[in-house]
Amino acid sequence: MTLFTTDDCVLCERLKKQFDLSAMEVQVEVLGNNDAGALAHLAWHGLVEKARKALPILVLDDSSALHEFGHIESHLLDRAARYGCGVAARRSGKQAGCESGSCALQ
Amino acid sequence: MGVVMPLNAETAQARTHQVVNEDSTDIALFVRSSQDDMLGWNRQRIVDALLRETFVDRDTAEKISKDIELTIQAGKVKTITGPLIREMVNAKLLEMGLEEARRMHTRLGVPLYDVDQLLVQHNKENANVPHGPEATNLTLAEGIKKEYALLHVFSPDVADAHLSGDLHLHDLGFIDRPYCSGQSLEYIKKFGLNLPHALSMAKPAKHAEVLLAHMVKFAASLQSHFAGAIGWDAINLFYAPYLEELDDNGVKQLAQMMIYEFSQQAVARGGQAIFSDVNIYWEVPKHFEDVPAIGPGGEYTGKTYREYEKQAQRFAWALFEVYKEGDAAGRPFFFPKPLVHITEKFFKTDGHMDFLHHICEVASVKGNTYFVFDRGDTAKISECCRLSFKLEASDLKDAKKPWKMRYSALQNVTINLPRLAFKAQGDDTRLFALLTEKIQLAAKAHGQKKKFIERLMSLGKGGPLSLLAMDLDGEPYLKLHKCSYLIGMVGLNELIRVHLGQELHDSDESIKFGLKVIAHMNIVCNKLAESMGMKFVLEQTPAESTAFRFAKLDLAHFNAEAEKVVQGNREKGEVYYSNSTLFNVGATMSPIARVEKEGLFHPLIEAGSITHIWLGEAQPDKEALATFVINVFKYTQNDQIAFSPEFTACLACGKTSRGLSETCPYCESRNVDGITRITGYFTKISSWNKGKLGELHDRYRNSDRFNN
Repeated sequence: MTLFTTDDCVLCERLKKQFDLSAMEVQVEVLGNNDAGALAHLAWHGLVEKARKALPILVLDDSSALHEFGHIESHLLDRAARYGCGVAARRSGKQAGCESGSCALQ
Repeated sequence: MGVVMPLNAETAQARTHQVVNEDSTDIALFVRSSQDDMLGWNRQRIVDALLRETFVDRDTAEKISKDIELTIQAGKVKTITGPLIREMVNAKLLEMGLEEARRMHTRLGVPLYDVDQLLVQHNKENANVPHGPEATNLTLAEGIKKEYALLHVFSPDVADAHLSGDLHLHDLGFIDRPYCSGQSLEYIKKFGLNLPHALSMAKPAKHAEVLLAHMVKFAASLQSHFAGAIGWDAINLFYAPYLEELDDNGVKQLAQMMIYEFSQQAVARGGQAIFSDVNIYWEVPKHFEDVPAIGPGGEYTGKTYREYEKQAQRFAWALFEVYKEGDAAGRPFFFPKPLVHITEKFFKTDGHMDFLHHICEVASVKGNTYFVFDRGDTAKISECCRLSFKLEASDLKDAKKPWKMRYSALQNVTINLPRLAFKAQGDDTRLFALLTEKIQLAAKAHGQKKKFIERLMSLGKGGPLSLLAMDLDGEPYLKLHKCSYLIGMVGLNELIRVHLGQELHDSDESIKFGLKVIAHMNIVCNKLAESMGMKFVLEQTPAESTAFRFAKLDLAHFNAEAEKVVQGNREKGEVYYSNSTLFNVGATMSPIARVEKEGLFHPLIEAGSITHIWLGEAQPDKEALATFVINVFKYTQNDQIAFSPEFTACLACGKTSRGLSETCPYCESRNVDGITRITGYFTKISSWNKGKLGELHDRYRNSDRFNN
């Protein structure tokens, strides 16, 4: 399972803080201006155009992908429970999203 | 190829009649100057030229001129020409270690032998240039401009990289022009045909036929100011306001005129047909829906383009009827290339399945149709063999005034990927470092070309690029600040083969590593774009001759490594590398697998990609192709596809048959020529270079793949 993220992405950061992703065996790929491997991995899953619209994207073990933040969070909560991993409390109230547009592959 | 006899050798010998007084060259020697004049010998001219053209000091120039005079006297020279004196001076400069002065003093020209060959033999660097006097003019002029570019526009390291085959600087013979142009018909609809230095000026067209005449002439003018393709956006939509007065026969007639005009324009630059593309939409693209339509006389019609959907569709349908019929001999039209945009809205527009079947039938019968996939909100204008300009927010703003929509790529530089793998010797770090180095060098080349074009553009309407400086809408026709700078690649497949021992189609690991190479290129381009303020974008290089040139140079300079991976037939010299990121053309793959896997690379190559499906003799039914096209749109990332059938044109009986044959099936004549797609366009196989002939032989034809 791979979580595609980028630096300065509010939503990506939130997931990274909320979950112990490495303990849950979720590989994190940071799409930036330096990592050709991460970009190639994204391309392999046919998700470059999707990532240009929005990140994060979670690619499941069967290669299907989740794009909606709510679905990603929910799937990770299930996985955390299965792996017996704790989940950090998330701030209540309205969750800020990516109003700046930085939550996407530039 | 037969032996070519020197043309008029005796006459040439006789012309060298200017025998001079061998004993008093200082007075009586006449020099055949390059100004068509006979000048008396005067060594001061050598001094003047050296002082004018180089930085040598006067004493050195004087000394050189005296030495040359002595050499001429001692040599009992019978004929002396300006170029010979210059060569002698250059030799002297070299002898004195004045290499930079020699470079500055260089004379550009073509050896007699080469001209002799050129006049007789067909230059096949570009299959779209037929053989003839205009073509040889073009080749000779290009030869001089190539030398000029390599000596004077590009720095020695860039020029050396091109000459050695690390890079390919495309269209050096057109150094004083941008690469290609995509635009809107609205420009001439609004401003008429009002070109700088034209003998007459025409007001905006009032009738469809006149608009067509304006379009063709404008395209020819643009061809003489750009090296490559001339593309037209949403052509059926922008013609629509002129079609209301025409019945269906009139629309068909107009479609026929357009296609014939562009396909028969082989009379302009070097006898070369204008490489023309027409972008076609079944729907009214979202960004044009609310745009006020310009109609006859350049006046607004009072309607928006949304209201012209039916007229636009009539024209699109008629264009493909003409394509389906082919020319008078039933051959496919080579130009203009029809690029149909398949979008989300396409599938929501009435009649789309009928139209899809119609264009798929053309794809099957004649092969003309290009299917360009614009998924999501993507909008683009496509041209050349696969080049696309994606419309950004500012472009969509321009769409409100469509005459402002014009896009250009200034230059194309291609990197020889297999050579990097030879040098890296299996070391990933070394491979990516070398790749970065070559992209940086390509960017440097782009910067130098940009500077040169800027210099020409700064001369404005009195300069050589006056057409591109015209500013009828308030800004120059060539919007330099918006130009793209293309970085291409050749031979990813062979790079992988050298580096991993497998070809792209062999394993997922090969594809993943290939993606990493292209992702690296994408990232480096982005970084350079940011630091240099230039829009560097990757494009799948068509590589009509580059794939051949790189393979040939690598066989010469990296023989041990290259002979293991170069494709084609080495004995015949029909060698090539796989184009850009394409898989081995001979690999046995289902068409959908090829489209899907090659398509994984396309989103990383922002300036355009294509997958070819070679049909050979097969003629799939339109329903099968339509299903295929829909699946490609829905389930792959592929940017563009084209189906390529093959034909045999009989030059004896004039009939056209399906497939490539050595004899005409109708009259059994052997006087035949093949026709199929070379890279991104159809042409006659007799005009192909050797590399492409090798590729043609290797192509895997999907003969039975669409039958079930």
